[in-house]
Parts: sequence; C-alpha cells; structure tokens
Amino acid sequence: MNPQEKRHSPWLVFSSQIIVVGGLIGIWEYIMYIGWASAALYGQPSGIWDALGYGLIETTELWQELGWTMLAVLIAFGIGAGVALIIGMLFVLFPFIEKVMEPLLAALNAMPRIALAPLLILWFGLGMGSKVAIGASLTFFIVLQSVTAGGRGVNQDHITLSQTLGLKPLESFWKITMPTAVPTVFAGLRLGLMYALLGVVAGEIIASEHGLGQRVAYLTSSFDINGVWAVVCVLSVVGMALSWSLGALENRLLRWQ
Amino acid sequence: MRHKRESEMLSTVSKVQPQAPQAESAAAGAVTLDQATIRFGEVTAFQDVSLDIRPGEFVSVVGPSGCGKTTILNYIAGLLPREVLSEGSIDVLGEAPTTGNPHLGYMLARDSLLPWRTALGNAEFGMEARGVAKAERRARAHELLARVGLKDFEKSYPKMLSHGMRQRVALARTFCLDAELLLMDEPYGALDAQTKFQLEELLMDLWQGSGRTVLFITHDLAEAIALGDRVVVMAPRPGRIISDIEIDLPRPRNLRALQRDTRYHELYRHVWSTLEEGFENTGEQQ
Ligand SMILES: Nc1ncnc2c1ncn2[C@@H]1O[C@H](COP(=O)(O)OP(=O)(O)OP(=O)(O)O)[C@@H](O)[C@H]1O
Ligand SMILES: [Mg+2]
Repeated sequence: MNPQEKRHSPWLVFSSQIIVVGGLIGIWEYIMYIGWASAALYGQPSGIWDALGYGLIETTELWQELGWTMLAVLIAFGIGAGVALIIGMLFVLFPFIEKVMEPLLAALNAMPRIALAPLLILWFGLGMGSKVAIGASLTFFIVLQSVTAGGRGVNQDHITLSQTLGLKPLESFWKITMPTAVPTVFAGLRLGLMYALLGVVAGEIIASEHGLGQRVAYLTSSFDINGVWAVVCVLSVVGMALSWSLGALENRLLRWQ
Repeated sequence: MRHKRESEMLSTVSKVQPQAPQAESAAAGAVTLDQATIRFGEVTAFQDVSLDIRPGEFVSVVGPSGCGKTTILNYIAGLLPREVLSEGSIDVLGEAPTTGNPHLGYMLARDSLLPWRTALGNAEFGMEARGVAKAERRARAHELLARVGLKDFEKSYPKMLSHGMRQRVALARTFCLDAELLLMDEPYGALDAQTKFQLEELLMDLWQGSGRTVLFITHDLAEAIALGDRVVVMAPRPGRIISDIEIDLPRPRNLRALQRDTRYHELYRHVWSTLEEGFENTGEQQ
C-alpha cells in the first residue's frame, strides 16, 4: 500500500461497506416487491434468506452437500498440488526433463480441460472420482507453473554464494532454490485451490450424485431460483474461507517477506 | 566487566581462526599469479598479470571498470572454467583453484543475504554449508554478530535491516568461516561515506591479528590505502597491473587518525598519479 495514501479508520470503512451492500440488497428487494421484475425468475433477497434458513437449519441438507463438495475439493487439491509439486521440483532439479516434457504440457495446458469433464464423468462415474479428476487436473497445471517459475527466479548472487561455499546441488536446491520459490508457489497454491473448487463444482453441475453443484443444477431445473442463490452464497463463503485460510498460512510462513 | 567479556570474545574468536599453514605457505604464496592471461573468447579480461600475495597480507586492488578485477577473484574462487586461463598460472594456497574451496571466503558488493533467514541464520549459513556442527556454529554466529554490533538484531530478517547492517551480517557470515583467504569484491561500493567508514574500521578490527589473507577490490583509493598493506593498481584495455605500491603505514591503524597523517596523504597522491598515468598510457595506445 502506498504510505502516502490517507489512512481511513477501519470502522468507517466497515460501516460504509455495510451500507453499500445493505443498500444494494434493499434496492433488489424493493424492485421485486413493487413487481418491476419477476421474483420467480431472478430471485428475491428475502426468499434467499428463507432458502438459506431452510437448507442450513431446518433440513441441514446444504451442510451435507457442502461436506461432499469440500471433501472432493480437498482431495482434488491434494492430488493436483501434490503431484505438481513433485513434478515441478523434478523439473527444477533436472531442466532436461522439463525441456523434453514442455511441448506436451503446453498442449495439455492450452486445451480447455473443462471440456473433458463429460469424458471424465464417463470414465470415473457419478461419484467422487470424476469431480476429483476435474478439479485435480485444473489445479495441477497452475501449481506446476508456479513451481517452475519460482525455481527459475534464483538470485545470481545466491548462486555465487552457494558455489563459493561449496554447496552440493541437492543442498543448494533445498537451501536456496526452494525457499526462493516459496512465495511464487504459494500464489500458485492459492489459485490452484480456487480452481479445485471450480473444477469440482463444475463436475457436480454436469452430473453427480452429491454436492453443492448438483444442488445448483437440480434447483435451477426445478425453477427454485432463491434456492440456487442460497447455494451460490454458501459457495462464495466457502471460496473466501479457503482463500483466507491459505493466506493466513502464507503470512505465517512468509514473515520474512 | 565489559572489557573482560570482550577479551573473552576475542580469545574465543581467535581460537576459531585458522592456523595458517606456515611451512606450506612460506614456500607458496597465499595467491600467486604468474604472467596470467584470461580470455573470454575474443575478449581479454587481463593480460600478463603477475602478483604474489603473502599469507596474512591485506592487498587492495584498484583500477577502472573493466580491467579484470572481478575476473581475478572469480578465477581464484574457482567460479570460472579452467580454459579461460590462456597463459601463465594462478595458484591458490599452493594449488590450482577449486570451486567451493573451504579455505576461501567470498564477499560481494551486494550483501547476498538469504531473505528468508534471520541475521543469525544468515551468519550461520556459511558454516552450515561447510559442515560445522550446529552448536558450534550457533555459538560462533552469536559471537560474530555481537562483534559487528548486531547483538540486538539476531532475530531480524534482512528486509528489516539497513543496508549497512546487512553488510555487517555479511561480514559476520564471512568471518565465521574458517577461511584463511578472503576475497572481497567492492564490499562497500554501495554504501554512503559514513557507513562505509564505520565498516572499514570494523573490517580492520576483525582482520587485525586474525592471520587471514585478504584480497580487497575497491574503486575508492582512500579505502585501498587506509586498509591495505599493498595497493595494486590496474589499468584497462588490456587489463594489467601497472603498479604495486607498498603501504608502509604502521599497524594497527586508526582510520580516523589516518585522515590527519601526512604519510597517508603522500601515499594517496602517489597512488592517484599512478592511476592517472595508467589512464593516459591507455589513451595513447588507442
Ligand atoms: N563470464 C564472462 N564472459 C565474457 N566476458 C567476461 C566475463 N566476465 C568478465 N568478462 C569481461 O572481462 C572484462 C573484465 O571484467 P571484470 O568484471 O573482471 O571487470 P572489473 O574490473 O571487475 O570491472 P568493475 O570495476 O566494473 O567491476 C570485461 O571486459 C568483461 O566484459
Ligand atoms: Mg567488478
């Protein structure tokens, strides 16, 4: 942040945000109330509120679907990011492997992989497998790129230092290359987590037995627009919570930055 | 109390100093360049350079940009392929240069600290790389950080330290090593005059009585003379040594008192005119 920027009191900012968001919701509600637009088609804040109450408290079905989705996201992220980290480190350690694999990976990456989703569903079925596969494949490439980019950014002075101190290649990799890459890798992980969520929800929307995406598809087809909005609200809270928790971890680990 | 502590500290530090291999180095200089020429393809970095650095000596090297000063250090440190030495020989502690030579420490103009390590972690890093046991390196890093005046900043990360403080950490890291030969490539080149002066005094304090050999490159004549036993003057195109001047100022030197010393100013004028002649001769050649 620019130090010359005027500092605003956090309370002023927060209360203004409440007013803006509250105002927008109020306008939406009012428009539906006086009948300028169809509440049945666009949804209505008070109806969304009721749907949230119904799904989260009365039946708790949203929690269950959320559980399915989160489980798939975590597995997809774990597999995608884990494999990407290992392969990325191999690429950084042995640039020759990267050179060989580069065209293949570039082609796979350029392909809009979400288009493969129906195929993956065909292969892995309507359960966990397919959505995990979609989410993991999205995460994998983003994290892989961040590892190779981060590993390339080693400071020339640090290379000189490690040579004159006589570090062996593997020591130099762990003590200099990897720590250098960590901030870039974290940015990749954060993005990768969002993509895991995206992939899983997309998979659920296309075809699935469980999950919030499946609810979105179902509620849309039965014209329960408020219900759709309620699920979308839950999803965006989940997205923010995921991003925030990784950010908090990052701040702890990267205090030196 | 304070004095006692300091003398204790000094004695522990001097314990860890390398025992200069007397017999060996009496025969072979710490660094010997014998009619050495280094070429990078068509570019001649320097030509026909002969220089004999005795163990324990502090040799300053001055010369205009591009005359091959860094190249000399890099070759000594084993950072360059052998083939670039097209004529003559360069020996380090009686042997051919090797990469990662444990007898050698290298300090650059930029501090090259690792930003993810604290001052303490950075001071330890050199020893860690050279396999010093954990407890020992921790103890030595504490000592050296105290000596460079950063006792209260051990837990600070480099980004929280000023430029001068970072260079102090780099000094600590270098002097923590059991290296009898220190290569310094304009270590104070990027500092302001005040900070530079303080760090020069610090360097004298750390080096004095340590028995280490220092090859110190600088653009600053005053610094070269104040610190060195000898000042080697180089000229460019092709890089070569044009003069090797003995600095007969007594040791230990008080850098502040030196500013009023007539002999110091005489030497300064002498080195300066030598450097200028070098420029003029180069001009005539072209
Ligand atoms: N690795 C290299 N490959 C090719 N040419 C090089 C290499 N290193 C140095 N040179 C060339 O050798 C010459 C001497 O360079 P060097 O860096 O040693 O000069 P210097 O005296 O240290 O200069 P400065 O005072 O600017 O640091 C220059 O012409 C430079 O371009
Ligand atoms: Mg140089």
